[in-house]
Amino acid sequence: MAAHFDTEYQRLEASYSDSPPGEENLLVHVPDGNKSPWHHIENLDLFFQRVYNLHQKNGFTCMLLGEVFELVQLLFVVGFTVFLANCVDYDILFANKFVNHTDSSKVTLPDAFLPVDVCSASIRDNVTVMFVLMISGVFWLHRLIKFIYNVCCYWEIRSFYTNALKMSMAELPYFTWQEVQARIVEIQKEHQICIHKKELTELDIYHRILRFKNYMVAMVNKSLLPVRFRPPLLGECVFYTRGLKYNFELILFWGPGSLFESEWSLKPQYKRGGNRLELADKLASRILWIGIANLLLCPVVLVWQILYAFFSYTEVIKREPGSLGARCWSLYGRCYLRHFNELDHELMSRLSKGYKASSRYMNCFLSSLLTVVAKNVAFFAGSLLAVLIALTIYDEDVLAVEHVLSSITLLGVCITVCRSFIPDKHLVYCPEQLLRLILAHIHYMPDHWQGNAHRYETRDQFSQLFQYKAVFILEELTSPLVTPFILIFSLRRKSLEIIDFFRNFTVEVVGVGDTCSFAQMDIRQHGHPAWMSEGKTEASIYQQAEDGKTELSLMHFALTNPQWQPPTETTHFISQLKERVQRETTGDGHTLTSLSEPRSLIANFLAGPPSLASLHLGRDGSLANHGPVGVSDGASALRSLSVSSMRGSCSSTHRSAGHASSASRAMAGSSTDAQTASSGSSVWEGQLTSLVLSEYASTEMSIHALYIHELRKQQSGGELSRHTWHRQDSDDSSDSVTEEGGSGGGNTNPRKPIPRSHTFPISTPISTPGPIPSSNSGPNPDRGTTPGQEVAPLQSNSQRHYGGNTDSVGPGGRVVRSERVPIGGWAEEGHGGRHPDTVPEERSEDDMPPNIHKVT
Amino acid sequence: MNCRSEALEVSVEGRQVDEAMLALLHTILLHRSTGKFHYKKEGTYSIGTVGTQDIDCDFIDFSFVRVSSDELDRAIRKAVGEFKDAMGNGMDGMGQISLEFYQKKKSRWPFSDECIPWEVWSIKVNVVNLANEQERQICREKVGEKLGEKVINIVEVINRHEYLPKMPTQSEVDNVFDTSLKDVQPYLYKITFQITDTLGSSVSTTMRRLIKDTLAL
Repeated sequence: MAAHFDTEYQRLEASYSDSPPGEENLLVHVPDGNKSPWHHIENLDLFFQRVYNLHQKNGFTCMLLGEVFELVQLLFVVGFTVFLANCVDYDILFANKFVNHTDSSKVTLPDAFLPVDVCSASIRDNVTVMFVLMISGVFWLHRLIKFIYNVCCYWEIRSFYTNALKMSMAELPYFTWQEVQARIVEIQKEHQICIHKKELTELDIYHRILRFKNYMVAMVNKSLLPVRFRPPLLGECVFYTRGLKYNFELILFWGPGSLFESEWSLKPQYKRGGNRLELADKLASRILWIGIANLLLCPVVLVWQILYAFFSYTEVIKREPGSLGARCWSLYGRCYLRHFNELDHELMSRLSKGYKASSRYMNCFLSSLLTVVAKNVAFFAGSLLAVLIALTIYDEDVLAVEHVLSSITLLGVCITVCRSFIPDKHLVYCPEQLLRLILAHIHYMPDHWQGNAHRYETRDQFSQLFQYKAVFILEELTSPLVTPFILIFSLRRKSLEIIDFFRNFTVEVVGVGDTCSFAQMDIRQHGHPAWMSEGKTEASIYQQAEDGKTELSLMHFALTNPQWQPPTETTHFISQLKERVQRETTGDGHTLTSLSEPRSLIANFLAGPPSLASLHLGRDGSLANHGPVGVSDGASALRSLSVSSMRGSCSSTHRSAGHASSASRAMAGSSTDAQTASSGSSVWEGQLTSLVLSEYASTEMSIHALYIHELRKQQSGGELSRHTWHRQDSDDSSDSVTEEGGSGGGNTNPRKPIPRSHTFPISTPISTPGPIPSSNSGPNPDRGTTPGQEVAPLQSNSQRHYGGNTDSVGPGGRVVRSERVPIGGWAEEGHGGRHPDTVPEERSEDDMPPNIHKVT
Repeated sequence: MNCRSEALEVSVEGRQVDEAMLALLHTILLHRSTGKFHYKKEGTYSIGTVGTQDIDCDFIDFSFVRVSSDELDRAIRKAVGEFKDAMGNGMDGMGQISLEFYQKKKSRWPFSDECIPWEVWSIKVNVVNLANEQERQICREKVGEKLGEKVINIVEVINRHEYLPKMPTQSEVDNVFDTSLKDVQPYLYKITFQITDTLGSSVSTTMRRLIKDTLAL
């Protein structure tokens, strides 16, 4: 930077070449040079998603191999099926026809194959086979192109990991996502990946990765998506398969003509309430077309599903037939139980932790009738099998007798299936405790389950979340047949509600784009008064997230991302809740009886009846390590890094010293750790590695979830005003409005002007809640008026804070609003007065302009 | 998304469209242009000077400053002319012209170079019809005032300390700046327009998106 300032600045006379007059007289600049390729990435959504995927798939090589094998597998499935169908002479295999071999009488496998020309001729003649082959060929090519594209994209991500994040692929599996994320946040300062802000927050990254998933979670939460059906005979059931999910996403998020114009922004016409009916019509017709397309493609998809299921599950079923009797979390369950802003791996680890308890809970309900039958079937099958095996051992020629081998296999399968119906007689089950244990992991549960854990209805409803694997496969198989009808008959009717949902619950956040407003986890906007946010929330019934989702999501996010700095109000909520939980768990709880909060909740659920204490502690001990339900001995408490057992034992011993001797034994081993664990959630934040931290966080979250649920239970005092589980659609929830208004102590006065949070980093909703869907037009004054009432306060508010839109009174006294808020608060005031013609007539009152809000 | 977007809105009379557009576009480009870079051997460079020029409008009571570069002016006039033709003459109408600053990013072989926008200015235009000469006179002043405000606001936005592409080295200068002009070097820009906001994205962009979507994981 050799700068010489001593020259006088002068204009160069008409020199278009603009050549420097002399080397020594110039201000010399140095280019920023070594430009990182990672600044200003165009599509951050995709970028973060890929970064996350690569992390979840344990690095580039693993991912590459996995995809290559998938491609090969696909080829194999199709090729092998065609081969089996056309190129095998089954007569030879079954020895119905003899091969005239000269040298030996042995039949070899190649003998059964048809010659190539015969085979190919038969394939060529068969129209259906050709059709299937063509379809799968196209599909495979599509996959191949996608694969090549992905390899190129992920190569970039790989170099991002190695060069920018300084993580080599070899050690990537040993980094937690939180660490990766922390580094991304760090390098934003240097590389400026996102150009809107100097610094990224964790929430930004989550929002981008989970943008559409958050919408899905919110829609399931508000019972918008048609996944519950009441077919005749079957009773209420949930049908939500991958095919259906794919179609939902296709329609809403990324398909041609979807609601989103790009990954990050909703089409502007959907943000305005003006022509919602037209848009709903358009959406309905799109759904119809997609439904019809589904119907037409149904045979292809069905064949594919069957083939795929056959090849992927037969091997498993043969190996361990019991696996069909095993359970898994249903797709619906995953959506219902997911927090806002919860990544896949977080959800999966949470659900996996709850798996043991859940399957034990479900096993409580083995039908005794079935058990009796199963026992006897197993007995008879077993005796037959024993004889056959004994005979075989004596002389293996028995195997050569026709069908002996197959009957041995069949009997074996039969016995294994029967055994899964016979409960282990050495275990004692306590459904209520188990359900609570499940709740500690899955965090969501309809209110009326508590106290009804032993009821069959509860079990049935739980089985909607936690279904048999066999049912899962069956549903997947029937999905191609059912999906088109769901789309055409069920989803289509919801089109208006969907349009309203997207308009009302989309906010534009600077640096992130359009996101689901629920995912902002703002208690004030979406809190539910019955779930701790009483007095803090100003949401109308329509805006409240059900099941305490906002509150629990917020806690979950704050606990998993301790670095995240929530806005002050939210911080207040979190710290208040933490403090209350802390007080309860560290033992002062049972003596301290504050007025507002129910008395020692944790004591209630941890201790229970004295006789149960030790049992419960044992279960608690197995929270994390899935160990057998035993009496908790110190060894197991130490071995498993189960913070839960530490905390659990710690707190319960504090409170009820000498309650159970086993508890104190557990304490003896781990008292020091337990002390640190319980001494305060903020203490360990800095010093522990993030892995340990995430385990603490999950335990902490369990405790919070239990606490919140317990609090809710005690507050509602048994009479629950809203049975969210039975919500069929929003009609039901609107029914409960009046109840809520009456019993809720008037804390949600919908007529009250709504001051929005100034600090929360979101803009005001893109539009005010428009007219309520017509299905809700029942006699309900509260619901009917709320949105309309809200318009004014919202309006004035946005003006105040962003200097956004300026109202001007037109000549007719009509309030005229400029359409889009231009930057810096410059608006078109006065032009309405001057040129009345320029103001479009159709802009209605609820035509709230989308605001752009700068987040500082 | 990874791009700032700024919106302006003006309502003008039909004959004022091109002058108003020129005024705004030139104002933005004035602040988004530098002198030509002259690279030296040791990876340093010096910046040439940029002349400025006052332009008076014929149909608006307004004058604005622009870079005195005829080439740049020609390019912008051409774009604005096309915009005006597309708007049709005389009738009421709405249109939007956007000025997009982007940078190129070199990609490896199978892909073409990406153009990544970092700032988009969209100017919405309402064209109004005026009945008589008096109204026209008022409009003339009014639009002038309005444009003055807009210019101040543009300057405010530009003065904010926000993301700008980093100064490139000699080999990369084409990825950031438009070096085709002889006397001035604006950031790479693109002017596009759209008539009436109901018009969605064009067919080609839809197709491109479709292909990208199917390819995406």
